Amino acid sequence: MMRTLVILSGLAVLAIAGTALFVYSGVYNVAATRQHTAPVYWILETAMRRSVLRRVQEIEVPPLTERATIERGLRLYHPNCVPCHGAPGIAPEGFGLAMMPVPANLALTAREWQPAEVYWVVKHGIKTSGMPAWEFRLADTDLWAIVAFVATLPTLSPQEYRDRARAIAPLVAADAAPPASGADRGDAERGKVALQQYACVACHVIPGVVGANKTVGPSLAGIASRKYLAGVIPNGPDNMIRWLRFPQQIAPQSAMPDLGVAERDARDMAMFLETLK
Amino acid sequence: MTGPGIALRRLAIAGWLLLAGCANESDAPAFDTREDVALGAIAFHQYGCGACHRIPGIASADGIVGPPLVDMARRVYIARGLPNTPENMIRWIRAPQELAPGSAMPEMQVTAVDAAAMVAYLYRSE
Repeated sequence: MMRTLVILSGLAVLAIAGTALFVYSGVYNVAATRQHTAPVYWILETAMRRSVLRRVQEIEVPPLTERATIERGLRLYHPNCVPCHGAPGIAPEGFGLAMMPVPANLALTAREWQPAEVYWVVKHGIKTSGMPAWEFRLADTDLWAIVAFVATLPTLSPQEYRDRARAIAPLVAADAAPPASGADRGDAERGKVALQQYACVACHVIPGVVGANKTVGPSLAGIASRKYLAGVIPNGPDNMIRWLRFPQQIAPQSAMPDLGVAERDARDMAMFLETLK
Repeated sequence: MTGPGIALRRLAIAGWLLLAGCANESDAPAFDTREDVALGAIAFHQYGCGACHRIPGIASADGIVGPPLVDMARRVYIARGLPNTPENMIRWIRAPQELAPGSAMPEMQVTAVDAAAMVAYLYRSE
């Protein structure tokens, strides 16, 4: 009994030491020109598929076969998805081809994935795969329109796709985040996600957000008690929202760019930043 | 550190700043000597910077009016979109209203020598 325990704990220590050695030695190649090894590929692929399946149970799928919906989906698909995924007879752009993993051919995806799964992936994206989340970019109805169009991809010939894509008129996408009602004070948890989705984390230290440890701009530690924003406007909920949305109006030479932050998203971010006393 | 030591160091920095106008940028001295850093801490006290800024290593500098001066050696931009170089940092400390008109950061009449010492303090290896 004692002996088994000793052997087991010895193995555990070995496993931890081995993992540490593997991580710190840098032996695993992160180059996008090197495919994962077969076991790693299998693990990532299976984990991804299982993760999506687990999260789509509650999703209610709206009708997807209406002509107008599919047409709208094409108008969104063509500018937003083709650069990485291509379309029947159309290759992705160079940067799409150079990605690892290579973006899926969605005609095949449409045959193998259910609409709710495609919707989930389009909405939330997939970590470290290059697939972005569109939740903060497109309205929910537009996400479904894309799903509706993708479902038709296996039936489209290259000629047909080209003819229809040529005929599409430029489209103004619906607001991804319609303005919240005046009574809505904002949602700090959603704001934390928005800080990630608008890439705030690429430049600022933000306590409580993993990976937000960059020093391009000032740290947001204690931002809630700061007296001024950008050195020019007094700190407060309304000014914070203004600053997040239109920094170039408030401090024209600032390195902080206008990021097209929607009003609701800015309000939620401000709610989260309120917590950084 | 002794008084004369500080004075000498000040002279040395002043000499460098005089020369800097005509010298190549690559000739800029490494700022990170302990004397410079010590001078910088004194300068931050004397100009009251801590009333508005939190400055690591200076206990009384716990202001929350402007941003904390943490990790300044690793910062990419300072002030209003100014690339973080020693030269720009000195300019910013000395003439904030010129670089960012309307900023809450006031002109404090910081001498070139004191500004250089402050920069040495901010860029010190911790």
